[in-house]
Amino acid sequence: MRPAALLALPLAACSGQQSALAPMGPEAAGIAGLSWLLIIGGAAIFLLTMLLLLLAFRGGARLRRRLGSRGAILAGGAVLPTLLLSALLIHTLGLADALGGRSADPLRIEVTGRQFWWEVRYPDHDVVTANEIHIPVGRPVELLLTSTDVLHSLWIPALHGKRDMIPGHLNRLRFTADRPGVMRGQCAEFCGAQHTRMALFAVATTEAGFATWIERQRTAVPAPEDPLLAQGRRAFASAGCGACHALRGTEWSGRNGPDLTRIGARLSLAAGTLPNHRDALRAWIADPQAIKPASAMPGFGAVLAPADLQALAAWLGSLR
Amino acid sequence: MHWRLILGLVGTALAAAALFAWSGVYSVAATSGHYPFFSTFLDFALRQSVATQARGIAAPPLDDPMMIRRGAGHYHGGCAPCHGAPGEARSPVSRGMLPEPPDLGPQIGEWTPAQLFWIVRHGIKYTGMPAWPAPQRADEVWDVVAFLLRLPGMDAAAYRRLALGETEAAVARADEELRLLLLTGPTGNGLAACARCHGRDGGGDGAFPRLQGQSAEYLAAALEAYARSTRPSGVMQPVAAALDPMQIRLLAAHYAGQQPTVPNPPEVAEEDLALGGRIARDGLPDRGVAACATCHGPGPGAPNLLYPRLSGQQAGYIATQLTLFMTGVRGPEAEGPRAGIMARALGVHRERLPARPSLWPLRPDEVRAVALWYAAQPAGAR
Repeated sequence: MRPAALLALPLAACSGQQSALAPMGPEAAGIAGLSWLLIIGGAAIFLLTMLLLLLAFRGGARLRRRLGSRGAILAGGAVLPTLLLSALLIHTLGLADALGGRSADPLRIEVTGRQFWWEVRYPDHDVVTANEIHIPVGRPVELLLTSTDVLHSLWIPALHGKRDMIPGHLNRLRFTADRPGVMRGQCAEFCGAQHTRMALFAVATTEAGFATWIERQRTAVPAPEDPLLAQGRRAFASAGCGACHALRGTEWSGRNGPDLTRIGARLSLAAGTLPNHRDALRAWIADPQAIKPASAMPGFGAVLAPADLQALAAWLGSLR
Repeated sequence: MHWRLILGLVGTALAAAALFAWSGVYSVAATSGHYPFFSTFLDFALRQSVATQARGIAAPPLDDPMMIRRGAGHYHGGCAPCHGAPGEARSPVSRGMLPEPPDLGPQIGEWTPAQLFWIVRHGIKYTGMPAWPAPQRADEVWDVVAFLLRLPGMDAAAYRRLALGETEAAVARADEELRLLLLTGPTGNGLAACARCHGRDGGGDGAFPRLQGQSAEYLAAALEAYARSTRPSGVMQPVAAALDPMQIRLLAAHYAGQQPTVPNPPEVAEEDLALGGRIARDGLPDRGVAACATCHGPGPGAPNLLYPRLSGQQAGYIATQLTLFMTGVRGPEAEGPRAGIMARALGVHRERLPARPSLWPLRPDEVRAVALWYAAQPAGAR
């Protein structure tokens, strides 16, 4: 790799779906602004210091005497830092206050960290989903964060900073998205073997789009008429998937694993591990431990015939 | 000077021993017996070793008739050929061993239950006494110890009732054996071995798992797992390993075809029923325990043929299997992905097994309750 390409590598993270420097809402914009202020301010102070150092060595005798005077040392070493840091403190406190959010009636979403996925509930809409947070553009959102097993941390850089998810404790995170888009988030607290494959997506849409999505989640999963899909549903029953997974409007209400009501419409499988595709779904059901070792999902390749696996993946994929 | 002398003596002794062994003058024949003092010394060493090694083993209650019956069922196939049994002489073949396997009746009283447990579990070096085929299955070893404690003074009729169950008559009468053989073709032997404990209709006699009402696919898979020793059991491994694939298929089909009989439903307390029923239907989501009924019935829909049905199953068997999963004796490591589904449904992670019963996803009293609830369900309920 050429040196130029190597230098560009760290910058690759600064664009796209998961970047604190590509904010999608006012909170993230505030954080990004502060970041730039610190980066640029820090660089300016560094350059100024280097310039003074250079002058201290190479400058004329008068200049050097002036630089070494008691007044200059007091001004540059005490007064200037005090003023700058105080101003920065006031600015940061104001920003932190704004980041806290103060909306009277935010959209409340409960996000629970599990090894290694995210359960997402909309208590006011009676909706449960997983690994995906849908929000309407312009409406303040309050995430209620907790965990059922170990420490996790939710970080969607384009919307806000990190916030820990602690078993037995509720943390809040408030933000607003100010334009539509898809943002990627990541668990930011080491939580076990598959910490790296614990990602999620936030999808900001218009109010109308959000209402449609909510309605879709609330609709019961119908019994399929297509023979292949019906075979898939039977395979779901036979393998006992419903002991851990819930499907709205069916006899299955398991809570150990993600709710699968509209799994076909999700952006990814297994918390950002696989693209949501019928073949990926089949591979995942057959042998998830080969894809995401130590994840909670056991493999069903030994229990379901290949044709049943195929049909099951087709049926789940059709739940859009 | 001293050191040279000592080294010289030790070296000479070692060389003499090596020369003695090399010459082959010493006979390893079982017929030649031991030198008089040497056999006393060996006996002394054996008793001291067992006494020391068995220290710290705490015996569970051993008077449960079901344990005794299970222990007898294994004793007849696994131990009696060498040690004999009430009314059954030791085989002349095994009597030719050195040391000769003792007739156990008069011997049992010389050992404590813990020492018997240690001997049955670990076997004894250089004697021909084998170790338990599945050392993880302490519960099975205790069954055998429970039976051994009853052995002194047991008469032949009592032994045959315990060890042979309903096959007692069939074994005694040649025409019945022939009928069995005709009924099941080459599996006559296998079936006789199965029926001794599980009954010819798979009813299980209250002490053994009930096989009736299971799918042939599940029973065959279980026998194959026993035969391959992936599913550990010192009782089932030797039986299953003796079966060929055709016999496994026929036996599985035979038991799958038996109509579930209705045994005396167990007496179950109301609160156990309520707790067990709740766990079976809803699981314990907070501890990662899935609802049993989704896979094992009773419930709507056709269950997977590879999952056992539990309605009417013997409670002790269910509780033992749950315990084996909690303690990692059964699980994906040994048995493969199917056991992985069960371990997962119980909330057991193979990387971090619960350290003690109070940390099991299903606590021991909940294991008991769910086992009793299933035992109380009408057999054959889907």
